[in-house]
Amino acid sequence: MKNYIFKNARIIDPARNIDVKGDLGVVDGRIVDAAEVRSPEIIDLEGKVLTPGFIDLHTHLRQPGNNMAETIASGTAAAAAGGFTAVVAMPNTNPPADTAGAIEFLRQTAAQKGVVRVLPCGCMTKNYEGVEMAGIGSLKSAGVVALSDDGRCIQDHALMRHVVEYAKSFNLPILDHCEDKCLAAGGVMHEGKWSVLLGMNGISGAAEELMIARNIILARQIGWKIHMQHVSVKESVELLRNARAKHIPVTGEATPHHLTLTDECIKKYDTNYKMNPPLRSEADRQALIAGVADGTITVIATDHAPHTMTAKMVEFDDAPFGIIGLETALPLTYTELVAKGVIELPDLVAKFTTGPADVLGFENYSLEAGRAADLTIFDPAAKYVIDKEKFKSNSRNTPFDGWEVQCRVVMTVVGGRVVYDARG
Amino acid sequence: MEWTRKDLLSLYDLSAEEITFILDTAEEFKKVSERRVKKVPALRGKTVVNFFVEPSTRTRVSFELAEQRLSADIVNMQAAVSSLRKGETLLDTVRNIEALQVDLVVMRHSAPGAQDFIAKHLSCGVVNAGDGAHSHPTQALLDIFTIREKLGTLKGVNVTILGDILHSRVARSNMWGLLKLGANVTFAGPSTLVPREFEEVGVRVCHDLKDALRDADVVNLLRIQHERQTAGFFPSTGEYAKFFGINRERVKEMKPGALIMHPGPINRDIELSSEVADGPNSVILEQVTNGLAVRMAVLFLVAGCVKK
Amino acid sequence: MTLKKQLYSPGEMTVAIDRIAAAIRRDFPDDSDEFALVGLYKQGVPLAERICSVIERETGRRPLFGKLDISMYRDDVGRRSGLPLIRETVIPFDVNETKLILVDDVLSTGRTIRAALDALTDYGRPSLIRLAVLVDRGNPEYPIRADYVGLESRLPSGRKISVQFDEDGEEAGIFQVEWQK
Repeated sequence: MKNYIFKNARIIDPARNIDVKGDLGVVDGRIVDAAEVRSPEIIDLEGKVLTPGFIDLHTHLRQPGNNMAETIASGTAAAAAGGFTAVVAMPNTNPPADTAGAIEFLRQTAAQKGVVRVLPCGCMTKNYEGVEMAGIGSLKSAGVVALSDDGRCIQDHALMRHVVEYAKSFNLPILDHCEDKCLAAGGVMHEGKWSVLLGMNGISGAAEELMIARNIILARQIGWKIHMQHVSVKESVELLRNARAKHIPVTGEATPHHLTLTDECIKKYDTNYKMNPPLRSEADRQALIAGVADGTITVIATDHAPHTMTAKMVEFDDAPFGIIGLETALPLTYTELVAKGVIELPDLVAKFTTGPADVLGFENYSLEAGRAADLTIFDPAAKYVIDKEKFKSNSRNTPFDGWEVQCRVVMTVVGGRVVYDARG
Repeated sequence: MEWTRKDLLSLYDLSAEEITFILDTAEEFKKVSERRVKKVPALRGKTVVNFFVEPSTRTRVSFELAEQRLSADIVNMQAAVSSLRKGETLLDTVRNIEALQVDLVVMRHSAPGAQDFIAKHLSCGVVNAGDGAHSHPTQALLDIFTIREKLGTLKGVNVTILGDILHSRVARSNMWGLLKLGANVTFAGPSTLVPREFEEVGVRVCHDLKDALRDADVVNLLRIQHERQTAGFFPSTGEYAKFFGINRERVKEMKPGALIMHPGPINRDIELSSEVADGPNSVILEQVTNGLAVRMAVLFLVAGCVKK
Repeated sequence: MTLKKQLYSPGEMTVAIDRIAAAIRRDFPDDSDEFALVGLYKQGVPLAERICSVIERETGRRPLFGKLDISMYRDDVGRRSGLPLIRETVIPFDVNETKLILVDDVLSTGRTIRAALDALTDYGRPSLIRLAVLVDRGNPEYPIRADYVGLESRLPSGRKISVQFDEDGEEAGIFQVEWQK
């Protein structure tokens, strides 16, 4: 295994509140003091930023079930290209990851084909149907880091309560897709001015708000961690802010697309603007940005949801929800949040590192000597145009093709191995 | 100006000048149907496919007759949405139609934006004959044509559209056309069926019938679908008729001579009583006659120019 | 930009129109049946009005008068980049068994007249149709000739001839028009 010295980098390590210019050494896949490295390959990172490896708390790898859209190999390659060293794999595959066997498959395939770390997430309920609790203990033994019925939401509040209580005894955080089914029924986009003008069925913001309120109540009552996936409406941010002020163990994530796009984009019926939760109003988007800025939202996660071109080349009503996001997350959020002065760069790095690590209960997720060398290196000054044809993902369902952005991922290092290198 | 569009998808896309252009063209086509020979060779040698992925009788017959009076060759295709979704994709279906050297596709579909979607991929012209609750431009054009014919202008005319606005492509298309031509638009009906968001584009939203009718020069009534009752939007058609139906008594509260319109088919005694539907203020059958002229004009114009 | 060159003056136009009117009067003497002039849009309409006025001045009797737009009868549907607005066709008399004189400003290829003949016969069955034009360019693509000709021009077919009446608020006369890039 190669040893490295990363020289002259701006090192940002949010867990230890470090933002300095310096060098970092890697020996046998672990972080060491640069002075201790023997016969290293020296990599000059003048003008570049080096941080702990980014974790995506919300990735759909699609394997098993839809290898045309994505595989563990292609999805993790996309993650590496996006600067992520670990992805939490959502369990709504086909078959879903609701048994120890399914988790075993995921771990084995990831070990053989994975480019970055794959952190398995198990279903809360069997077949994520929201009817019967899944074998949560067995899932834990098989190696899941969290539980989620993502794509669906347990509607039965009593069942949800039991799942959260049971998960607590196994020390597993809940990642919840917050959506009241009755209020969202039949909806294909945000319910508001544009759904009304376009004559499309809307998904009311209340559908999300209601379930976030429920989860806050359960988290308080049970005293266990519930993480709200892809928060999208203003009122949800408000609920989360108040709950966190009262030290209720809830967290929330925002996706790059909810931070950059609104429902008005749908007026041309491009199905690459169809996702769930849907793109909301400008007021919602602003509230989400404010939530990211004031620390209400501690995680930026991609909700990377690959779909084949065939699946998306249909009427808007019939198209599946979701867009890919791993390879655009950092440049989009840097351009929208840091370049526009909404937050500082270390704060953005935290949303991709300590934010998700805290949700998963990873302690001291940092660049401290002795830790595994999972590193993300990027050039914050680089401006470029997003070209979906250059993506590593099997899918191309992105609305950001052609966008001019700033901040390019330069290298991704997992356990001391360089898994992505975009240097010329 | 000159007409240069090869598609008619929505009145939202058109300028006031383009809408007026269609109405003026329709005036001349209306006369064709009044002649001894009710036919012109304008689209001789052109093939039009009427592709209806949602059942329709009136609109399809009106389009078909319009095409015949323009001497086009016609192919009618009907597909149930369910069977289409099981088999090939919509895009494949229309691409196959186009490969048969078709000049124009007239399409109805239950999904909003379905025509916009296929128009992006086809080189032949596309006319929207209704897409879900989104748009039904020829219906709105014939409504506006009828109002202009009766009142001489649209400027400053108060038009109240009453009923299930939420699910109505007729209301949305009328709204864009009427607003562009300077009419005042009021949407009225129970609050479950008339979303307030329309106020953001300059429509008056009104849940009180008296208020909605008082100054109206035109009252356009929408068909109430029974399935909205099952979905819980209102308690019963009886209650709807009582609070939002138009009958002889309600007409007395309106301006004398205010026009009564309806895109059909009418639910008699629910949204509209027979005395009013067949009464002196009703222009419902003239709408049907004008629909033919408007559709002839639209087909003539979109088939008449090359795609840019 | 366009280059406009006058071919005939307003005075020469008036003489030509008088000549057409006189020829029509010879063929349709005062004691004969009624006949009608049908002007083709755009410039055939004011031309037909002029001819009617001359005949009325000379005879005290104004011929029947109609206006015809041939847009619905053209043979180039779907081949143009844009469509002009259809103008109002007015035939305020029964075409059946009527003697009709079609009036147009310039006879060039004959395609317009072909379309006009189709249009007119959809209104009824005239007993006779004649053609009057102010300028005959003498380059027909269809076997169509004018019965009454005001002026003859042998301009090459690439050049456009434009007839202007002062009613349009433009300078009257017959012009050669060239577009230059």
